[in-house]
Amino acid sequence: MNFIIVGCGRLGAELAYRLYSQGNQVTIIDRNPLAFNNLDPTFSGRTIEGEALNKAILQRAGAEHADGLAAVTNSDTLNAVVAHAVRMEFRVPQIYVRNYDPYWRPLHEAFGLHMVSSSSWGAQRIEELLYHAEIRTVFSAGNGEVDVYEFTIPAAWIGHLLSELISDIQCLPVAITRAGRSSLTSPDMILQQDDILSISATLQGIQSIRQRLMSLKEA
Amino acid sequence: MIVLISGGGRTGTQLATLLILQNHDVRLIEYRSEIMTRLHKDLPTEAIYEGYPTDPKVLELAGIQQANIFVACMPNDEENLATCYLARTLYQVPRIIARVNNPRNAWLFDDKFHVDVALDQADVFASLIEEEMSLGDMMTLLKLRRGEYSLVEEKVPAGAKAAGVAIKDLSLPEECIIAGVIRDGKLILPRGITILEPGDEILAITDRRGAGQLASLLASTTENQP
Repeated sequence: MNFIIVGCGRLGAELAYRLYSQGNQVTIIDRNPLAFNNLDPTFSGRTIEGEALNKAILQRAGAEHADGLAAVTNSDTLNAVVAHAVRMEFRVPQIYVRNYDPYWRPLHEAFGLHMVSSSSWGAQRIEELLYHAEIRTVFSAGNGEVDVYEFTIPAAWIGHLLSELISDIQCLPVAITRAGRSSLTSPDMILQQDDILSISATLQGIQSIRQRLMSLKEA
Repeated sequence: MIVLISGGGRTGTQLATLLILQNHDVRLIEYRSEIMTRLHKDLPTEAIYEGYPTDPKVLELAGIQQANIFVACMPNDEENLATCYLARTLYQVPRIIARVNNPRNAWLFDDKFHVDVALDQADVFASLIEEEMSLGDMMTLLKLRRGEYSLVEEKVPAGAKAAGVAIKDLSLPEECIIAGVIRDGKLILPRGITILEPGDEILAITDRRGAGQLASLLASTTENQP
């Protein structure tokens, strides 16, 4: 597949190298030629020094036939504008932007672009770990608005109905793992010792679960 | 009229000053601290809004919902483009004008980012100079269709190719029409059979290419000889 990456900082260089090592055609654009020093020495995709808003540069990078483009510079405005320009002019099927500063997330939303908010995602992960190590995040949907978490049920929950315990609208039980086998959950399920519960929840939802686990611990 | 301007550089400030003099309600958005002090000297405080023009909160504070016109004058094209896009998609501003900083980015300043009028300073300047250089004594009275056409005026000098020739025989270019001839202080509405005389002043509507050809028909031939 043919991919174009705009911005050869840490994220751009890492992404370029990953795509390249999987056998894809990768072209990376940066206005500063020194930025290409961030690339792994074994990377031999194409590098283009220039402004990504320049149509001739985009064409040289192969925007007409690209399968995907990622705008990952450290300027949110530039990422959004490059992505929108490419979407309007070249119809590249997959376009993603990096939301660098969480403050500018609304800008990407206004453009209706698919984004990855690397800073807020990382901060949220670490925040959760600091609060509670027992609850692990196993899957993250979107930019972490909804995550799937798993934890071993506390002793106080043994023998209770699943529906009495998880009734918050911000959480949804998705699976239960009992003696190494997982199954889908049902509201009338009775919890047993060492059950591992997987639930999908918003940050708000998981916080209320954490608080309950915390108060059980203290009790 | 309520006019919102982003960017308090020379262009933005000059425009704001001009519009305030004409009693328009002007709001200018700027965040560059190095410009702020100067800006406060040049413009009334109530016209200045401090913040990023790409931030909807700042735009709303400056009253973009009521703006009749938005003018993007930041020195950075991506910022201008993003702000124009927000001005139309989030706030339905009816008229959007943007300055193009880098002529290579001019292709983006259209419907793609909801720019109604793009002013490419380098291009405008270059074509003005080019016109001044190539058109000799021809004077541009009025620009039409964003400068695509002009109303021009030039005198027929003695010895010009066009002197003594009927308009229909001038072989004028397609995009050029002689709209009036001023002779002895009177305006004559020209017909095909009107014969141009030395000393006539010609008023013509023409595109840029036509203007060049008209200028060569009206050039005094003695001047052109080495």
